[in-house]
Amino acid sequence: MGDCEPTLVNHEMEHHIVAAAQHLIMALRASTNLNIDDMRSFLSNVEARLSTKSTPIESRGGPLMDMEEQLRQCEIVIMRWEANQSLIWDSSSEETSEYMNAAAEIQKLVENLESVSPIRNAKQKELLLRAQNILQRAMSRLTEELRHILVWYKEYHEPRYMSCRSFVEDVVYDESFASIEDEAAELTSHAEDGCSASAERRVSLIRPDMVPALKSIAQVMFSSKYDQEFCQAYVSIRKEALHEYLVILKMEQLTIEDTLRMDWDKMSNEIKKWAWAMRIIVRVYLASEKHLCNEVLGEFGSVNSDTFVEITKASMLLFLNFGEAIIMSPHQPEKLFRVLDMYEVLAELCNYVDALYSEYAGASFRIEFHDLLASVGDYARGTFAEFRNRVALDRSQKPFGGGGIHPLTKYAMNYIKVLSAYRGPLNLLLCDREVKCLEPCLGIDNEEECSADSSCALAVHLRSLVSVLESNLVEKSKLFKDTSIQHIFLMNNIHYMVQKIKDSDLRRYFGDEWIRKHIGKYQQHATSYLRATWSSALSLLKDGGNQALSFCKPTFRERCKAFCLAFEEVYKCQTRWIIRDPQLRSDMQIATTQKVIHAYRTFLGVNLGSIGEKYIKYTADDMENYILDLFEGSPKSLPHPWKK
Amino acid sequence: MPATEYQGSFLGRISIRRNQVVSMDGHHEQELEDLDLFQRNIAERFSELLPSSPQPPPDGGGDGGDPSAPASADAPFLSLAWLRKLLDVFLCCEAEFKAFLIMGRERDPSVVAKPPLDRLLPELLDRSVKALDVCNAVMHGVDAVRHCQKLSEIAVAALEQQPIGEGQTRRAKKALGSMMAVLAAEDKESSGHKSTERTWSFGRRGSSAGTNKDRSAAVQFRTLSWGVSKNWSASKQIQAMSSNLVVPRGAESSGLALPVYIMGAITVLVMSALVGAIPCQERTGLAMHLQVPKQFAWAQPMTALQEKIGEEWKRKEKRGTAGLMEEVQRMERLGQVLAEFADSFQFPCEGERADEAAVRAAELAETCRRMEEGLVPLQMQIREVFHRIVRSRSEVLDVLDQAGKLSAPTM
Repeated sequence: MGDCEPTLVNHEMEHHIVAAAQHLIMALRASTNLNIDDMRSFLSNVEARLSTKSTPIESRGGPLMDMEEQLRQCEIVIMRWEANQSLIWDSSSEETSEYMNAAAEIQKLVENLESVSPIRNAKQKELLLRAQNILQRAMSRLTEELRHILVWYKEYHEPRYMSCRSFVEDVVYDESFASIEDEAAELTSHAEDGCSASAERRVSLIRPDMVPALKSIAQVMFSSKYDQEFCQAYVSIRKEALHEYLVILKMEQLTIEDTLRMDWDKMSNEIKKWAWAMRIIVRVYLASEKHLCNEVLGEFGSVNSDTFVEITKASMLLFLNFGEAIIMSPHQPEKLFRVLDMYEVLAELCNYVDALYSEYAGASFRIEFHDLLASVGDYARGTFAEFRNRVALDRSQKPFGGGGIHPLTKYAMNYIKVLSAYRGPLNLLLCDREVKCLEPCLGIDNEEECSADSSCALAVHLRSLVSVLESNLVEKSKLFKDTSIQHIFLMNNIHYMVQKIKDSDLRRYFGDEWIRKHIGKYQQHATSYLRATWSSALSLLKDGGNQALSFCKPTFRERCKAFCLAFEEVYKCQTRWIIRDPQLRSDMQIATTQKVIHAYRTFLGVNLGSIGEKYIKYTADDMENYILDLFEGSPKSLPHPWKK
Repeated sequence: MPATEYQGSFLGRISIRRNQVVSMDGHHEQELEDLDLFQRNIAERFSELLPSSPQPPPDGGGDGGDPSAPASADAPFLSLAWLRKLLDVFLCCEAEFKAFLIMGRERDPSVVAKPPLDRLLPELLDRSVKALDVCNAVMHGVDAVRHCQKLSEIAVAALEQQPIGEGQTRRAKKALGSMMAVLAAEDKESSGHKSTERTWSFGRRGSSAGTNKDRSAAVQFRTLSWGVSKNWSASKQIQAMSSNLVVPRGAESSGLALPVYIMGAITVLVMSALVGAIPCQERTGLAMHLQVPKQFAWAQPMTALQEKIGEEWKRKEKRGTAGLMEEVQRMERLGQVLAEFADSFQFPCEGERADEAAVRAAELAETCRRMEEGLVPLQMQIREVFHRIVRSRSEVLDVLDQAGKLSAPTM
């Protein structure tokens, strides 16, 4: 529009026309249903008239005159939109750039007029005020356009596709645990799709073709010193958009008091939500927000980072405060996995947060985030220690029924199994402390085997935990008065431990040597059991050897009877005992048969004559069948034999 | 800031004394002496916070009782600077209290597991959790104030223009209007339904159902940004914090029970001052509940302070303001005046009215400047208080833990 000829208009006349135009605008505002098209054509008619009025007379009215003409041209463009309900950015790009040019030009006019100071004549003052007035209208309009673009061209992304991992189930130690099938715990794999390794993800938060619009609005508003208005509008809307995401991600605003009052199930759920939401927000959303800020405000220095901090402050505090609240709750072993999840997320996000808040404005978030990571790490260590304590100090007053697998063993082993899935964070957390005072890489002869796996901090801790468990089980076995069941109990429990380790990922932390050693242990208990239970009974049979003929030895008949009685006693007692593992049970039955029935059969074979068939209460075959009832866990007594 | 400068002497003495072997009697004497010092320090600090009104010097004796002595010249009562001083005082008292607690425990490790501390310490922990939520709510209140400051700055920038015309006054009017709306919304004490200015849904795209939906969503978001949950109430919180705060009597009043009580009283006082001064969720019926017995040296300045704040609060409830913070009140007042000026502005504007407006604008500019200087540090300080309370809480838990007492952990 700079190419228009300067116009001369009588001052008074001009005022009349301007007044009339303003009147027109007011009328336009007041009436709601006008035929816009008619109006437009009418107004462009007026515009046409105005341009024909331009005559080159007094074209050399000095710079002020030029300015005035320039101002008028801009005024026309800007005031035309004042009456228009539609959006500038919804109309043609010519119209948009016409408006933006007018706004920029006014800004320059104002600048020029202001630069002459002090203002000498009335005309200059009048022009300045007029220009400021128009500039204000333009800025006000642009603020609205800005808000509108930010709201209507906001892009929404399903957070679901950004999700990264599933969480392991809790391992809880309670009475019901014993009844839970182990399979339930087997299912808990610590799955992670590869996304955590992938690079920074970004989404577009504003439709990409509208970003240049935001940028140009920012430019003209900043140069017109309406930057505060821009930032206010921008921050408030982007802040709301972020909150909207948090609502979608189901992040509740909780007080610390509420959080601490939660039961563990709820808290565990909240932690899952927190970790999930935070990963998405920090890695994807905030990275995108930062990118948008850079695009729109990149050239305005610290305003850029200040704005980003303003937008994200409340949300960051939400995340930080929740983390603080969780680690204020008492250490409980069942929390460990969730807390390790927290630790992993925080550790993973640290670099992202550092990058997002690299400038001064966000320094406190950076620091708080690192502090939280450290505190969560301490908390996890504390919880780990608490688990160890629980395993070490679990005390029961009465022996565990049937000598079976103690709930503590199941709990501890399943817990350890899940722990092994947290190798990364645990190694980080455990390596810097206490490792040296724990047992070193245990008896691993094979060099290849003594690899990173079995010598890492986690492996050392796991082996130490299992040995703590073992010593506690030894304590627990002492609650049984009968040494036989002590051995059955320990055999069962050690066997369970070995199976858990052998058949899982844990194997690599314990090593083959450990497994061999512990197989030896439970086999030793099996042998000891046989000796403890049967040696006195078997001695009855053996004593029947040749040397036993002296003095008033019990007769073979009496010895057979005594042996059967002893067998009945064992039967009554040990059918109640339990060996849950079918293979182990059958091995024990075979070993018993081999040791006992074999001796009995030989005894009967040799002495059948002197005993008399009708005095044999149980045949060797009967007994062999009865042995299959042992360790089944259902108390029985032998049916009264029909043979007397 | 001077947060650390008070600590030197007291903590220094503790560390020296730790290593001394003192007889049982010596223990007791020492304890009394420490307690005395602890109380005297508190009395001194809170006296300094008292507004310089014609009150007799609080301590009755000792250091010169010039009523104008308290350093209120640079930090008028309830001003930003004063609030920051108040938080400094809190941090100092807290540090000394903790030292006292640990020292007392060292004299007799089992003391924390015995009555009355077995009850008082869990109560203290509970109180500190509540204080943390107050801190979070107030953090967001400071954000709201900052928002208003930015809007005021726009108005100032517009009104400082020379010559002043229609465009600039319109600009100022708009900014001031938004500011007053924010303050009014912050003041509205119904919780959960705070919709602040919602200018963006200006409905160019028609007033379809979408706009209404946006609006209600905005209310939801608004509550999310408060740092506390929807039904949380600052005044109830303060009340709950003070409800179980009882002056130890008789045998209980020796040993650690008294410092625990004093720290509780300080926490309640400081938190209620913050809640009163800064916009905060649900403050209806905020009252200064604390009844501090007169016999203690520190009771007088603390009671006086509490009364002062209480008076201001009552006045506020009549007049309506977003917060007692001096700068907020001033901003509100000046905003009102300037909005009226802008409203009735007619060109040309010269003479008295223009001068008057210029003076007010300059005052508002000064207020904004003070806010610009003080609000972010205040926020950082509130956060510092937050972290301090978190840390102390875990230290107290450790103390309890070591005493083998924490069988059923409280919050």
